[in-house]
Amino acid sequence: MGFIKREKKASSSSTSTSPCAHLRAAYQNCFNRWYSEKFVKGQWEKEECVSEWQKYRACLSEHLDDKHLSRFLEAEIIPADLGNPVDGAAAGVPQ
Amino acid sequence: MLYNWNSNQASIKSNMVRAYKQEHVYKHPWERVTSASWRKFTDPENKRILSHVLEVDTLNWKLDRESGKLYTTRAVTVHAPGPWFIRKIIGQDICHCVESTVVDARTQSMQLTSRNISLQKFIEVEEKIRYHPHPDNPSEWTLCQQETSIRIKPLSALASMAEKIEQRCVEKFLQNSAKGREVMERICKYLEAESRGIAL
Repeated sequence: MGFIKREKKASSSSTSTSPCAHLRAAYQNCFNRWYSEKFVKGQWEKEECVSEWQKYRACLSEHLDDKHLSRFLEAEIIPADLGNPVDGAAAGVPQ
Repeated sequence: MLYNWNSNQASIKSNMVRAYKQEHVYKHPWERVTSASWRKFTDPENKRILSHVLEVDTLNWKLDRESGKLYTTRAVTVHAPGPWFIRKIIGQDICHCVESTVVDARTQSMQLTSRNISLQKFIEVEEKIRYHPHPDNPSEWTLCQQETSIRIKPLSALASMAEKIEQRCVEKFLQNSAKGREVMERICKYLEAESRGIAL
């Protein structure tokens, strides 16, 4: 009856990647620090936050259930696509 | 047709596409403003104001160590736009967008392009934002140029309501971009205070 409706899908405030929230925060903190303290100051020759990224990414590939999104996780970033992404945002399409 | 509803906003409407341009000057240097841009959706303090953004995940990133360019792809999950009955019809209440960013540290430019990848049958939104040093005061100010186009698909089941929905989207968009600027200004101030603290 009235209450049957309530059990519709999980509440919209939690999405499929919520289990990765801790790893995401660790990566984002690292990235933000690297970006403002190094990258914009011209120190871009060293990649940082690599272990944070790997852990976070592993979690994402386990939990990301949207197939459109998981494509991006696997795809190589092609610089040419970024300035002017193709319809459907096909990151893997060769130019 | 070209409407002007204040000096820095313009809209061009043709058929079912609406395009908007907005400009904003941040009185903060480019380094700080772009740092704030990365934090805009992810700092927990802003969640209350930018409540339409549910989740932001980095899907991929790449650093070109030769040229000093950073490329990232992020997924932005937002509440589906429009009134509740639209959400009922389209059968979902969240919408995924993909945001691609290129930052060129050498020339000091940041460009973000976002578009929705869900609900494409009904609506296509593309937003481009560029941050670069302001020509009048390059070391202190940053110019933000934003272009948004919203297109409601005429063949969708929602065609008859499309005009209204489009208007709602537009209003929502303008509200949200004002909120976004407010958040950006606040993060810039915070970063400014922080950098002073470090410098002391």
